Amino acid sequence: MSDEDPILSVESLSVSYGRVNAVRDVSFSVPAGGMVALVGANGAGKSSVLAAVSGLTRPGKGTVRLDGRDITRWPAHRRVAAGLVLVPEGRQILGTLTVAENLRLGAHRRRAQAAPESEMYELFPVLAERRALPAGSLSGGEQQMLAIARAMISRPRVVLMDEPSMGLAPKMVDEVFKVIEEIRASDVTVVLVEQNARRALRTADTGHVLETGEIAHSGPASELLQDPKVVKAYLGVE
Amino acid sequence: MLQQLANGVFAGSIYALFAIGFTLVFGILRHLNLAHAAIFTAGAFVGIEIATRTGIPIWILFPIVAAIGALAGLLLERTAFRPLAGRDDEHFAGLISSVAFGGVLIALIQARYGTEPKSFPREYFPNQLFQFAGIRVTLTQLVTLGLALALMLGLAWLVSASSLGRAMRAVAENPTAARVVGVNVDRITAGTYALSSGLGTVAGALLALNLGQTERSLGASVELVGFAVIILGGLGSLWGAMAAGVILGLAEALTIHYFDSTWKGLVAFALLFAVLVLRPRGLFGHLKVREV
Repeated sequence: MSDEDPILSVESLSVSYGRVNAVRDVSFSVPAGGMVALVGANGAGKSSVLAAVSGLTRPGKGTVRLDGRDITRWPAHRRVAAGLVLVPEGRQILGTLTVAENLRLGAHRRRAQAAPESEMYELFPVLAERRALPAGSLSGGEQQMLAIARAMISRPRVVLMDEPSMGLAPKMVDEVFKVIEEIRASDVTVVLVEQNARRALRTADTGHVLETGEIAHSGPASELLQDPKVVKAYLGVE
Repeated sequence: MLQQLANGVFAGSIYALFAIGFTLVFGILRHLNLAHAAIFTAGAFVGIEIATRTGIPIWILFPIVAAIGALAGLLLERTAFRPLAGRDDEHFAGLISSVAFGGVLIALIQARYGTEPKSFPREYFPNQLFQFAGIRVTLTQLVTLGLALALMLGLAWLVSASSLGRAMRAVAENPTAARVVGVNVDRITAGTYALSSGLGTVAGALLALNLGQTERSLGASVELVGFAVIILGGLGSLWGAMAAGVILGLAEALTIHYFDSTWKGLVAFALLFAVLVLRPRGLFGHLKVREV
């Protein structure tokens, strides 16, 4: 697929909660196999963009396209079936279900494409040891691995990752970014939302900086990392 | 004495069957469905009407009654609960609208069947007597116990081991997380009502089969005991509802044995009161649907 045919595109997206406009007129697209980072301060609307793209929130305005098809009104489960999968903020694993049950839930909408459970256990050995335990008994980092594995088992085409490093110890953050690198190396398209902007931009091809619900800066991630305005406002001095 | 205990188990199995349908909806959706008793009553009338008109054997009758119950459950969800979804007062408003749905259903029953009791055709089901160790048991009672046990164990298996049950438990724990993994929450919600109401109508038809007849107040007579069972077992707990149903049936039977039947009504509430004081989460309050 050429760059002119993005696998995912978001056009003039606006999301409001009551009278609060969380996202205003946001547009971006992601080429197949590419990786886009959405960065910005807390409350800039990054998570709201992902909620609208994944179908958890109805946008007030705008269009979401997957392979050029308008999916704006599709329910979340239909998007999952089409291979558009979210690794949500705060992980949202099902703590009373076992690790294995969480993985099976992740696979159930895409039985035909899904990877065998054993493949996920090879990728995430820590989950293999705990497969029969309630997922709520895992540590925060392990739960994040489970949330990623639960998305990856369906062999998604596009993965939306919402703050995957949030609340994790530095060593776990390294682990999570290692996994993200592996995912993108496997040709899966990734949209990454992160407060850890520097880290996210180092991993992505393209970055968009959100500021109070709007895109303030866009460009190749490497250029954003050098852009004095972006550095000053969002990245700080290293 | 043994005879009374046996009778208690048979009555208890119907209480339990009433209660698991109600507690299933609460456990998964956090809805209190107060139309459940009306659905139960409708099951009794519909069962009698079909048996009277067609004379079909009970192993065909009960699946039909269950299917009609499932349809009623879908209608109930669609009219009394779904329009309220997402409102701040969703749960309380649902409780009220389910009372209204139940009222409408009872009015429709009265319009169709009148105010007189309706009976199963004479000799519709052979009321054979068996004797075991001095206990007299009718074939109807055996069928009741067998069917109730099969349905309860079947439901427990469905919830704990099937992929549908996994999705139900996901919805019970966290509907948003369930949507994230692609569970069709609307469909699971509708399915839960279908299942619950199917169990409710079968329970009603079973009680009518045991009594030989039914009237409009059939559901009301079981409702309060049924709610006591649900609280006793812990709201949302399937195993709790099953055990508490039998415990209440036995407690009533023993009361009849040692005192007389006028005290029967007191037992459910005395037990309920004792449990609420001593174990507020119910006897099995820790074993929720989601953990079955």
